[in-house]
Parts: sequence; C-alpha cells; structure tokens
Amino acid sequence: MRIRSEQIIFFLIISILPLSAVVYVSYEHSQEVIRNSVNTNLLVATENTGKAIDNWMDARKDDIRIISSIAENSEKEKFREYLSSFQNEHEGVYQEFFIIDPDGNIIFSTNPANAVPFLKDALEGRLFISDVSLSSTTNLPEVIITNPIRKNGTITGIMGARVSIENLYMIIEGIDIGKSGEIFLVNNKGELIFNKDRFRILHENINNNFAVKEVIYEKRGVGDYINYKGENVLGSYYWLPLYRWGLVVEQNRDEAYADMLTLEKETAVISIFAVFCVVLVAIVISKRMTEPIESLKNGASSLVKGHFKTISVTSKNEIGELTEIFNQTAEELLEIRKKLETKIELANKDLGEKNTKLILANEELKKLDNLKSDFLSMVSHELKTPLSAIRTSAEFLGSEGTIEPDIRKEMLDNVISNVDRLTRLINDILDLSKIEAGKMEFHYEKVNVEEIAKAAIENIRYLALKNNIAVSMELPENLSPVLADRDKIIIVLNNLLSNALKFMYKGGRVLLSAKEEGNDVRIRVEDNGIGIDDDKVTKIFDKFYQADSTSRRKTGGSGLGLTISSGIIKAHGSEIYVESEPEKGSVFYFKLKKYETK
Amino acid sequence: MIKNIDDKIVELIGKNENISTNEISRIIGIPEKEVERRIKAISDVRQKIMIVDDEIATLLPLKRSLEAEGYSVIEAVNGYEAIEKAKTECPELIILDLMLPGIDGFEVCVQLKKDERTERIPIIMLTAKDEMRDKVEGLEMGADDYVTKPFNLNELKARIKNVLKRSQEI
Repeated sequence: MRIRSEQIIFFLIISILPLSAVVYVSYEHSQEVIRNSVNTNLLVATENTGKAIDNWMDARKDDIRIISSIAENSEKEKFREYLSSFQNEHEGVYQEFFIIDPDGNIIFSTNPANAVPFLKDALEGRLFISDVSLSSTTNLPEVIITNPIRKNGTITGIMGARVSIENLYMIIEGIDIGKSGEIFLVNNKGELIFNKDRFRILHENINNNFAVKEVIYEKRGVGDYINYKGENVLGSYYWLPLYRWGLVVEQNRDEAYADMLTLEKETAVISIFAVFCVVLVAIVISKRMTEPIESLKNGASSLVKGHFKTISVTSKNEIGELTEIFNQTAEELLEIRKKLETKIELANKDLGEKNTKLILANEELKKLDNLKSDFLSMVSHELKTPLSAIRTSAEFLGSEGTIEPDIRKEMLDNVISNVDRLTRLINDILDLSKIEAGKMEFHYEKVNVEEIAKAAIENIRYLALKNNIAVSMELPENLSPVLADRDKIIIVLNNLLSNALKFMYKGGRVLLSAKEEGNDVRIRVEDNGIGIDDDKVTKIFDKFYQADSTSRRKTGGSGLGLTISSGIIKAHGSEIYVESEPEKGSVFYFKLKKYETK
Repeated sequence: MIKNIDDKIVELIGKNENISTNEISRIIGIPEKEVERRIKAISDVRQKIMIVDDEIATLLPLKRSLEAEGYSVIEAVNGYEAIEKAKTECPELIILDLMLPGIDGFEVCVQLKKDERTERIPIIMLTAKDEMRDKVEGLEMGADDYVTKPFNLNELKARIKNVLKRSQEI
C-alpha cells in the first residue's frame, strides 16, 4: 500500500475515533437537554395553565364568598341591585346567582331558569364547586359554586352561582403552548370539559388517552404516547383536585423534538464536514509529505538509469535534509561514475593500443619466423647448390667411358667456379658473423679517399669492361683524409660498385664521388641502372635479400654484400643511405669522419 | 596449331623429299629459321628432358651426363619459360628446381598439371629444400619424384629412367 493511502487511513482512524466520540457525547447531551427543555416547557405550560385556572377559579370563589357574606347582611333589594351590577361587571361569567334555603328551596334567583339542587357540601358549611355541566339555559359549559350563608354562625341558606367557564376557556386558549400544542381538561370520568372545539365538550370521553388515564387516577407527569388522533405526542398531565379536573397539555412529538431533528441533521452535517475536512487535511498533509519522497524515489530511479537531475528541495524538514543529502550523494556518485567511465575508456583505449601493439608484435614475430625459415632455406640453397654442382661434376668426370677434352675442361671449370663461389660465401658468412658478434677487428688509420677509390675501381675494372659499363671517379682536389679501416672501406666500395654494375643495363654509367661536409667526407656511388622499388629499399640490407630475385643467379652474389657493408659502416659510427628510383638508378652514400691531426 | 604447323611440314616433306626450307617457309608463312628449327626438332627422335633451374650452370654435369646417355636436353631458367617450353617442346620429363624467381617450382607444377597439354608430363622436383613438408607438398602437387641437392648423379639418372618407364607404361 502506498504511504499516501496509509496516511489517509491513519488520519481517518485517529481523527474519526475521538470525533465520533465527541459527536456522540455532545449529541446525547444535547438530546438530553432538548428533551429536558421540551419536558420543562410542557410542564411549565401545564403549570401556567393550572395556575391560570386556579387564579380564575380563586377569583370566582372569592367572589362567591364575598357575595355570600354580603348576602348575610344586606337587604334583599339592595342585594339584588348589587348582584345585578356584579353580573354586569363580570359579563358573561356569572349566569345566575341564587340562594337556596337549607331545605333546598330556591329563595332567590337573579335568573330563575332552572332550579339547582342544593349541595351537601354547602350545607356543611364549605364552598362547593360542582362538576362542569352544560347550562340548561345557554347550553354552554358551566360550574355551580355554592357557599353557605351564615347568620350568627348558623347556616341560613346557600349562596350559589352558575358560572360560565367560557371566560376561563378564553384565558386558557390565550396561553402559548406552541403551534401544535393542545390543551384538554377532563373530568374524573374522562369526559372532555375543555377543548378548543367547543362542540366536543361533555360530548366526548377520551379516557382511552394515556395522559387522561393517568390524570383521572389523579397522577401528574409527562408522557410520550400516541394520542386519540393517532399522533405521536408528548403529553403533560396535571390533576386539579379542587375542581376534580384533569389538565392535559399535549404537543406534537415531532414539533417538540424539532430541535432534536435539527440537532441530528446538524450533527450529521458537521460530522460529514469534519470527516471531509480530515480527509482533505490528510490528503494535503500526505501530499506534502509524500511529494518529496516521491521525487526522491523518482530521482533515485533516474539515478539508477544514469540521467539524474537535481531534486528541488521543497521543505526544510528531515525529508528536505534527506533530499539535500541525496542530491549531494547523487552528484558525487555521478562524478565518480564519470571518472570511472573516463578511466574505463582510457583503460579500454590503452588495452586496445596494447592489443594492437601485441597484434603488430605477433605479426612481426611471424614475419621474423618466416624470415628465419627463409634465411635458413636461403643458406641451405646457397650452400647446397654449388656443392651439388661440384659433386655431380666429379661424378661425371669419374664416370666410365671416354670424355671429350672440352667437356672435361668444362666440368673442371665448373668445379673451380663453384668452389670459388662457396669460398666467397663462407668468407662472407664468417665476416658477417664477426660483425654481428662484434668481433671483427678494425684498424683505424689515416686513409686517403682517392687511394681507396682507385683501388676499389681497379678491383671491378674487369667486370665493368665485360659489361661495357663506364665507371668514373669524381673527387675534389685536396680532399681531407678520413679516419677509417682501409681494407674494410675498400670492401664496402667494392660491394657498392659491383652492385651498381650488376643491376645495370648494358652501356650504363657508374660514378664514384666524394665531397667534404663539415667534419665528414661524404662518399657516393651513383648509377643509372634499374633502380629499386620503394617497398624493397628498406629490405636490401637484409641477409640474402635481393630486390629482384631473378637477378641473383645471373649476378652470382651471395646476397650478403650490402649486409656486410652496412655492418662495416655502422662500426665506423655511420650509416649507408640509399636513394633510388626504379628505371632511373640508385644512389648509395655514407659519411666518414675526417682524420684530424693533433 | 603448333602441331598443325609440324604436321604441314611433315606433309610437305613427304610429298617432295627435296623441298627446300625456303620453300616450306613461303608455303606455311613462317620464318625459314623457324622451319629449320622445327625440322631439326621433328627429326630428333631422342627422348627429350627439360631441366629447369635459374642457376642452370650448376646442372651442367647433369645435362652432359643425360646427353651422354642419349637424351635430348632443353633448358629453362624460370617458371614462365618452363611452362611455355613444356607446351611447345613437349618434353617427356621435366626436372624442376623449386626455388625459382618469379613463380616458384610448386606453382609451375600446379600450372602444368592444370593444362591438359602438359598434365601427363612427369615431373621430378630437384631442390635444396630437404624438409619433409616440402617433399610431401611437392608429391601432393603431382610431382612423380623428389630429389634433394646435393644429389648423386647416378641415382638421379636411375630415377629419371624409372619415371620415364612408368609414364610410358601408362
């Protein structure tokens, strides 16, 4: 599960638990308060109604008492006048005043309509209030209040009044008990004696009503029940013992608890709002918390892939610090990586170079190996060919039968020339071995260049003549003598000159020249012969190498002349250089140090 | 083509024993000297052996010895010449040196064995190369024998005879 969802759930748990507890407690509390206030309101209304009734009735009772006392002492006429004005004063309340004698005869009435049976209580000297009944004259609900009339302590009659309670009703109706409130008065049988619907009064028994049942058992209290209309109501009931009336104040339960419904709604709305807020806050907080983590994660994964970009630090908390550290680490890592890559690249390059070198070295070795076997087969060939010729010549000469003299001569010449050839070859090989082993002895002395040049040319004169090649010499006068081994330099010059003669077209020219160059004398052998191909120039100093292998046999060289010459000149601290162009000719030259007189 | 010329020369001589080389030259359209050379070659009934070596002088005793034995000996000093002469002169045997300038003896052998005109000519390789692999290579390329220098003249002659005998039997 992602941190974000975890955080939201966590927030929900830790916020909703106390939130719901608080909501529950406050809801319960508010409900209790509302219930109490509703009950209190009802009770107050009931009590107020009861008080209003009491007040009104008390006033009536007082009126009767006063009138009773007046009746004791007044003249009949005056009393009648007084009652009449009293009646007017309380218009509609007092329907009739009357006086009954102790036997029950009506002896006085302001409105002698119907006789009212006297009442036992009155005779016993107490004020009496009758049950509510419909007036025989007006057909309106009324009570009869009787009070004894005393003369000198003896009850002489009963003062009575029929009192219309319409007036009281109006007072009761004036009491505010809420829109859906309803006030009932019932007698002890459960018959309605007050209702806003006057026609129901004394025509309807509602003792199946819970509150009515309770109240006619002279109980007081508050109940929650279904009333006669089938409505859910809250009812407060109150017994008025003096008049044997049950007072019931009912209020529609929904209306009474309207606040509670509002409270429920409000609680729900607030709860939902709170949860919404919590979720919102959780989302915002978790986003703030997880965003840097997310960018860290992305940064890390991009770092792994190798294209890291610095993560922006959005907060200064631990995650922010972590991000900064991560950035630094990543940069260092990238730098290290770069360095490593460079190193690897260098190493690879180095390895590549080494590999190339190794391959080259290997090729070189192979070449050397080939050269070695070439060299061996050359030596083998060079030695075995003349040997073969000598052997076969001898065999031929030794064979049976007659041999003609010129053929015998031919064979003997062949033997001699091949022996010479072998001798030359062996001398050359010995010289070369000495040079290579550093064991050739050199006797350095003052050498006149002209003298050795002439000697060298003299040596090849016969060959030059035979091939019809002009060999000339070109030396400046007073050329400085050189420090060299005379005999060895003559060998070198002979080799160079005879090479020039060998690789030459008939009628060519060879020039031996020398000139001073600083402390050196440069000696040059130049021909206009066949020249040497560029790719072969470097090889001509190799043992047995011949630039044109067709030429070897014709020229009769051992293939060691240039190698030996080069070795001799190197021993003199110099080198033989060659410049050549095919078909045009070649130039060989080397320098020798001037002989310095001390 | 070449054979045809020889055949024509033979035909002309057959018709007229006294025909001059000059006449033959005119009829066929080749130089008189060529006619003479061809007539000499046609009339030479000796077995012809070609020796190939760039240092032909060292084989002089062999040449003289073979001539004394009654063979006709022709020479070639390099690979190209050897191939060319093998085609024109039709030697019965070739003694071939391996270390030749230009194309070496092995290559000459290969070329000769490829051409139907020369493939049947037996070859004896004669060389200073005495390593076993060279011998094997030479024999694998179709050489009939392999002799190393320095060689015994009588031994070589005996081998030549054997090879010729074998090739004639076939």
